Amino acid sequence: MRNFIINFILIALYGLSACTPSSDEVVVYCTVDQVFSEPVLRDFEEETGITVRAVFDTEETKSTGVMNRLIAEKDNTQCDLFWSGDPLRNVVLQSKGITSPYQSEQTDLIPGHFKETGHHWTGFSARARVLIYNKTRISPDSLPLSILELTHPRFKGQFTLANPLFGTTTFHIAALFTVLDKATAEQWMEGLKKNQVVIASSNGDVKKRVMNGELAFGLTDTDDAFEAKKESSEVDYVFLDQQPGGMGTLIMPNALSMMKDSPNSENGKKLMDYLLSRQTEAKLAISCAQMPLIMGTEVPDVVPSLDHIIPMKIDYGQTSEVLEQIQPWLKKWVEE
Amino acid sequence: MGGGVSRYITRYVPAAVLALLLLGPLLALLVRWLTSSDELSLLAFLNTGTLLLIGRSLLLSCIVAVLASLMGTICGFLLYRLKFPFRGFYKLMLLLPLLVPPYIFAVAWKDGFQWLFGNSSVMIPEVGMIIVHTLVLFPLAMLITGTAFSQIHSGLEEAGLMRVSFRRMLIKIVLPLIRPGLTISFLLILIISLSDFSVPAFFGVNTFTTEIFTQFSAFYNHQLAISQSFLLVLLCLTLLLSENRYLSDAPFFSVHVKGSSTKHYSVGKGKTILHILMWILLLVVLVLPLVMLFHQALSGREILFSRAWELLSPTIFQSAKLAFLGALIISAIGLWVATMKERSRFPYLNTMLLLTFIIPSTVLGVAVIKFYNHPATNFIYTTIIILLITYVARFGFIAARIIGNGIKQIPGSLDEVARVIGIPPIKRFFSISIPLLLPSVFTAFVLAFVLCLGELGTTIMIYPPGTELMPVKIFTIGANAPLALTSSMTLISFGVTMLFILLFFLMGKIIFKRFRYA
Repeated sequence: MRNFIINFILIALYGLSACTPSSDEVVVYCTVDQVFSEPVLRDFEEETGITVRAVFDTEETKSTGVMNRLIAEKDNTQCDLFWSGDPLRNVVLQSKGITSPYQSEQTDLIPGHFKETGHHWTGFSARARVLIYNKTRISPDSLPLSILELTHPRFKGQFTLANPLFGTTTFHIAALFTVLDKATAEQWMEGLKKNQVVIASSNGDVKKRVMNGELAFGLTDTDDAFEAKKESSEVDYVFLDQQPGGMGTLIMPNALSMMKDSPNSENGKKLMDYLLSRQTEAKLAISCAQMPLIMGTEVPDVVPSLDHIIPMKIDYGQTSEVLEQIQPWLKKWVEE
Repeated sequence: MGGGVSRYITRYVPAAVLALLLLGPLLALLVRWLTSSDELSLLAFLNTGTLLLIGRSLLLSCIVAVLASLMGTICGFLLYRLKFPFRGFYKLMLLLPLLVPPYIFAVAWKDGFQWLFGNSSVMIPEVGMIIVHTLVLFPLAMLITGTAFSQIHSGLEEAGLMRVSFRRMLIKIVLPLIRPGLTISFLLILIISLSDFSVPAFFGVNTFTTEIFTQFSAFYNHQLAISQSFLLVLLCLTLLLSENRYLSDAPFFSVHVKGSSTKHYSVGKGKTILHILMWILLLVVLVLPLVMLFHQALSGREILFSRAWELLSPTIFQSAKLAFLGALIISAIGLWVATMKERSRFPYLNTMLLLTFIIPSTVLGVAVIKFYNHPATNFIYTTIIILLITYVARFGFIAARIIGNGIKQIPGSLDEVARVIGIPPIKRFFSISIPLLLPSVFTAFVLAFVLCLGELGTTIMIYPPGTELMPVKIFTIGANAPLALTSSMTLISFGVTMLFILLFFLMGKIIFKRFRYA
């Protein structure tokens, strides 16, 4: 029995010794899908020799882990760099005083619209909101051209939208409330309800329901649509509101923020510079069809170019404020 | 005098340390909540809508608890009291759903409906939640009531059968005797169903837990979410304390039933019907969801098992190592807490583990971060120690109860005899109690290992950066990966868990054989 206890202690000590932080490292919290972000971080490790210690979460699953963790860790920051799938989360952290400004040399290459003026976050590689559809359920020429047409009776019960309280769908709805006036946007949302929109649990669920033909079409992000196209030949996607003078589609860049009082801020800055490079944008274009923000970045043919898309003209900070205002109304809309 | 002091030190100092490690985060959060100047603090958030939501959640969970307890009790009786071949196999197979995260079954069932009816919307969300929770949780009722059935002395039933019919004997003698087991299984299932977020969220059912989650993740309103969580905890505690005497003393989760003389009924020609019944049940609770996962894994444009393995293989060793360590510590603490409760009449540690057991995982995560994330405690917060502490908080109660019931079955006279002939307490403990408790400790270890291996709710909030763990990776990779890849990863994870269970089963056979004949 004594041997058993000694072995127990030795095993426990061996296990506890496993996780020792080193000084030449950077801690990154990431809500971009791990399957796409991890290879980029590994490349950074290989190229610089700096160990990347990552915490992954995903906006698809509401980013609860990473966001709540960052907020809870506010008084003793563990994270150096926050890599978010959209800027709204960075704006939330900025408003809570958790981020720190940093102007990377690479920032100059990014168009001004995609970065915060005080350098609390900087955008790169973007996704867009698209309409994904199943060709066996609806022909391309019968599709709505504008998001506002979703309330038309001919689409009744045929389409889906992820829960607008979470993820990029929240962002999309808040952007619509920014572009349209509040009353019009609310009326449109009520119209969706009357038209029997199916509220899916996530964008992935939207993709799945359209892929398996349960519903004719749904709103999701370009990376989901790109994956769906890879998985099924019955699926395709279109950008809405692209007619001349149309309100355009929502463009959602990834966003990077340095954390205030972070333990490895110099390495954090190096990683931020690396992620904001043309090289990283090209990699993300290949892996998940994200659209580069730096002009002239080489991309595969299947990746749409931002030069050919009419973007929705929004201010990301203002959209974040609108989101905060409409959340209680959205919650009621979901629950009714 | 000196002996008394040292006894106090050995008893209370470790107890205080354990309380500080586990209860400290929750108390700190409670203090933060009570002293907050925010208008949403305390019970200011209580309104008709909240109360209705609590009522609705309670109603749904009550339906789950009634159905699962009924199913579990019938299965418990059939598998623990009737004599027919392959009973052990059926018991083991029917327990497997308990080891798989419920949301995996939710995905499989929803896809199953889509496959069968061409539209998953035909499943009413509330019904979907009730079905999945019932099928995932009924094995718990089977385990608890089965143990209770096994502990009824045959003499009582035989005496009854001399005067009344079998049916009447069941109603008048057996059911009253297993009432503690029934109550416990009903309450535990009610609480687990009430606290689960994943299944209602997946089906889009609005419950009190999804409301808490929405406050956490959509509104980042920690204060309100914590207030609501404390209300949930209060509700669960009230439910548990109302039947505290059963919780403290009911012989649930027992591994061996020593010294009892249980009557096993022969089924004669009914064997075929029983086998058909068992296979239908297995088909519904295990085979169909697994078939659905296989169908999804193989229905993509390419077979993604090798890709899934490539992604998961680096996490398996790390997850297994952590689960092994967690299970070792949980078993040791479970043994100590159970001994303190059963032998030293010191039940407070057991109550503390009960409290941490029912805390929603997200609240525990936030509490642990707030408590341990300080420069002075970075050695805990930035290493796997934080995960080990959380595992003890989440699963220590289960280990303590399994071992506690084992202790109850050891006759006190054995210890008394050893004491009379002058054998010191430590030697008595290691030479008498431990060998007799080995089956219980081993079962607690295996169960803790499996639970630690699959824990996600708190782990995803606190795992140290750079640590790769199996459930977290499946969860994060699965978000945007093809369905075939996610299903393949889930099946690999299920296979790995089964492999470990098999390994422990074989190991257990060797250990018990050695001790039996030593």
